[in-house]
Amino acid sequence: MNGCSYIGQGVRRASARFRLAVYLWLILMVLALLAAAPVNSLIRNQLGQLYFPVKPLQPFELYLVDVFLTNQHFFSSFAGFLLSFLSLAVVLFVFLNAGLFGRMLTPDPVVTFREFLADGCRHFWRFLLSLLVFLPFLAIFFLLYRLLSAPLNLWSRQAVTEWPVIIASNLRMLLAILLWTAFKLFLDLARIIIVHERKKVIHAYAAALRFLRRNFLKLWGLYLLLGLGVVLVSFLLLLSVSFSGSATPAGLFFSILLAQLFIIFRLFARQAFIGLEYIYFLENRGNQG
Amino acid sequence: MEKIRPAVKSFFIFLAILSFIILTGRAQERRLSYEIKVELFPETAMLHGQETIVWTNTTGDYIPDIHFHLYWNAFKNELSTLAREARREKMFSRYRAGKDGRGWIKINSLTTATGKDLLPAASFISPDEPHNPHDQTVLRVALPEPLAPGETIALNIDFQAKVPRNGLRTGYFKDGFFIAQWFPKPGVYEEGRGWNCHEYHLNSEFFADFADFRVEITVPSRMVAGACGQEIEKKEDTASGKTTYTYVGKNIHDFAWTASPRFIKVERWFRAAEEVTPEEYQKMAEILGLTPEEIKLPDVLMILLIEKQHEKQIERHFKALRAAIKYYGLWYGPYPYPTVTMVDPPFRTGSGGMEYPTLFTAGTSVILEKDVLSPEQVIVHEFGHGYWYGMVANNEFEEAWLDEGINTYSTGKVTDLAYGPGRLPVRFKGIPLNWLIKTPAVYDWQLGRIVSSPVAALDPIVTESWKFYNSMSYSANVYYRASTALHTLERLLGEKTWSRIMRTYHMRYRFRHPKTEDFIRVVNEISGRDMRWFFEEFFFSAKDFDCGLASVETRLKPERYNGIFDDLPTKNPGQVKQLQKKNSSRKEKIYETAITLRRYGQAKPSPEFPLKLKVEFEDGSVEWREWDAQTRWVRFEFEKPARVKTACLDPEAVWLVDTNLANNSYSSAGPGVRLAAATSRILQLAQNILLTISGLL
Ligand SMILES: [Zn+2]
Repeated sequence: MNGCSYIGQGVRRASARFRLAVYLWLILMVLALLAAAPVNSLIRNQLGQLYFPVKPLQPFELYLVDVFLTNQHFFSSFAGFLLSFLSLAVVLFVFLNAGLFGRMLTPDPVVTFREFLADGCRHFWRFLLSLLVFLPFLAIFFLLYRLLSAPLNLWSRQAVTEWPVIIASNLRMLLAILLWTAFKLFLDLARIIIVHERKKVIHAYAAALRFLRRNFLKLWGLYLLLGLGVVLVSFLLLLSVSFSGSATPAGLFFSILLAQLFIIFRLFARQAFIGLEYIYFLENRGNQG
Repeated sequence: MEKIRPAVKSFFIFLAILSFIILTGRAQERRLSYEIKVELFPETAMLHGQETIVWTNTTGDYIPDIHFHLYWNAFKNELSTLAREARREKMFSRYRAGKDGRGWIKINSLTTATGKDLLPAASFISPDEPHNPHDQTVLRVALPEPLAPGETIALNIDFQAKVPRNGLRTGYFKDGFFIAQWFPKPGVYEEGRGWNCHEYHLNSEFFADFADFRVEITVPSRMVAGACGQEIEKKEDTASGKTTYTYVGKNIHDFAWTASPRFIKVERWFRAAEEVTPEEYQKMAEILGLTPEEIKLPDVLMILLIEKQHEKQIERHFKALRAAIKYYGLWYGPYPYPTVTMVDPPFRTGSGGMEYPTLFTAGTSVILEKDVLSPEQVIVHEFGHGYWYGMVANNEFEEAWLDEGINTYSTGKVTDLAYGPGRLPVRFKGIPLNWLIKTPAVYDWQLGRIVSSPVAALDPIVTESWKFYNSMSYSANVYYRASTALHTLERLLGEKTWSRIMRTYHMRYRFRHPKTEDFIRVVNEISGRDMRWFFEEFFFSAKDFDCGLASVETRLKPERYNGIFDDLPTKNPGQVKQLQKKNSSRKEKIYETAITLRRYGQAKPSPEFPLKLKVEFEDGSVEWREWDAQTRWVRFEFEKPARVKTACLDPEAVWLVDTNLANNSYSSAGPGVRLAAATSRILQLAQNILLTISGLL
């Protein structure tokens, strides 16, 4: 199979299970509404009756800053709320990821919410464990990043103009992203093996390492190719959000619509990555030395 | 480069110097002059200098000693006052230096004209509280005998100095140097009070006496140099590969210079006749009560030293400088010096955005946005310091608002006029993102008000620079709260009065050292009112000013009020009867509206300057009320055949010192789609963050 057909099959697999993206979008929406509720109600409370004439005293954004500055005690307690909210959300996300992988890997493309939740329960503990086992690899990730970015830092530190500083800083970011995709690919593969072969976590990691020893470069290339497509579409979507303008009700409606489309697209892209990796794994399983 | 023959150019410079001497007049009676020869050794980042100071005691005091600033010793060790203050602010890493990076200044010899060695009688002192015995930025030199009134002393100093690597406002990177606060500089002797010579503090700038400078700077010939004053000679020694530049600066109180091989030097003339129209002169003259002839501007030679990497921005730099020379000149008084040097400082020398007499540093970036006013705002601001600090030379240690506040106010006025509102920059990894994220275009005064509001109750604006709660409070108070207060004062007194106040203050204290009290005196004198209350509320005390609408209630008035209304005399018997009658006979609906105003902050206006409330009803009628805010709240009641549509406290936006504008207005319709847009954007942000986190797990 050539590269394009892997990606094509991955995307097809994701489209067949598009419902998953919708489920996740709904759950995320509820979570986001909860997380943003305190701030949004404060803003509605303080600015809901603001007089904002055609020639206002200051741009609306500065009124938001006024609200922020005069309610600093609120925001410090909100930060506490957010922190505890996020730690709960993290546990939930592990569960949702377990469900996502579970359903992405079934042969039957018809996905129900009940099955999604059932898979979440089924794989939850192993997924949580897989995160813990990933921690040493995360340390390797940071170590590698520091090592590889050292020449860039040196170049940037010695520069007598701003260009090398800007270029080095952006290259560092690119490097971090590239490295991260490689490590993320590894983590996801381990989880595919956990779900597909019902293996124990450590065994799954070992199997993933064995598989990648032979197939890493090609799989990573495919991963990056798909990533490039995702970045391009994201960029276009973001650009259209920023151009849609929100000064009129119709414009606002349109920009909200686009923003939600962007979220759904991101969820779908996540499915496509899993799909691609799974197809590749299935095709090349016999090929691990 | 403008095409102008050197001979013609030097003739112009000569004319300018001549007119400058005539304009400032007092060149001969100056009490201080410097002659300095200095050489820069870039390989070791060292300076070696010989300095002759001639100082005259123009006071009636017998003066036993002279206090010198040795500013670079602030970078000598980790116990200097500056280092201690930086550590407290958690900004220490910025000034931390390796062994080679430390800066210091050492006096090798200090003798009188007769050759008497004064060094044994010199000691470091720490004049400021809290006392720091480790600080070596102020040197006290005892004189052999007290200097009598009118007497003059000449001192010869040989010094060596190491340029700090990560200095504050001065520093070097490779062979790019910006050299400031580098030579032994006496403090200011104040009659009856002694020397005013503070340590180098983190949150403070400088104070020195007006003087005449003649400075010879020797640098490797591959470097391009620039300095305060005018370059009068350039001598290249091919044998040693070194070039000596000679600069003369008259009636200035500091001297900074720069040298780098990566500079491009560009000169342009500010030609007043091309920049200012007769109508503009006429209009300004009318406002100021002067003749157009009296406010005529001179031509000025503008010198730009810009890094090669920013070559494309040359015109952008000059455009901003032209606007600044024009408006500062028209408003406050003509620029009196023949030249101004604008420096795009050498990369990584930490010296951008700083003012020196007749020279200032800006600073820019290789990638610029069109509608973000950077570097324009910095250029206008730092040039403006030539007026507020350079000429009107207040003590920046003790009353920094007098230059920073007044100049921030002036900067905003110039950029608002010359450019309109600027967009806030959004950058990621040095790359502008304004094409993707649309930020609002804001006027300087709008931004200044917001920035200053969190510190309103932290420190009074008039506070000694090193005694502010922290750096944030220092800068937000001294720059932005002061400028916001000045905008408010302008709006209270009106444009004409205000313009005359500012011009009078500037021209009266040009080449002098005024204090806050002098400014207040001019305000009261020109306005003909006692405005001290304003300074007490907003400059001498740390009080929050926040007046707002506490509630707006409109309800349908009942057809009739029940109960017993007998005819016993009450305080206002006629009114009740009248109301009863009116209610029973009316056909239209009547609404009762109650608007409650509150003064949330401690600060209050004077009864002479009440706040205005504008109320608009749905039938188009408008009601105005006034409130002097002496009490904590007030309630205004209206009976109208319509509901309230909008209510606005201070609708003309006079009281910009109000720290919260979000509570100043009411409208039954609300801000509409903008509010929905803001809340939906917050929601989207939350979605994206949550999604990213879930993707990482
Ligand atoms: Zn300033």
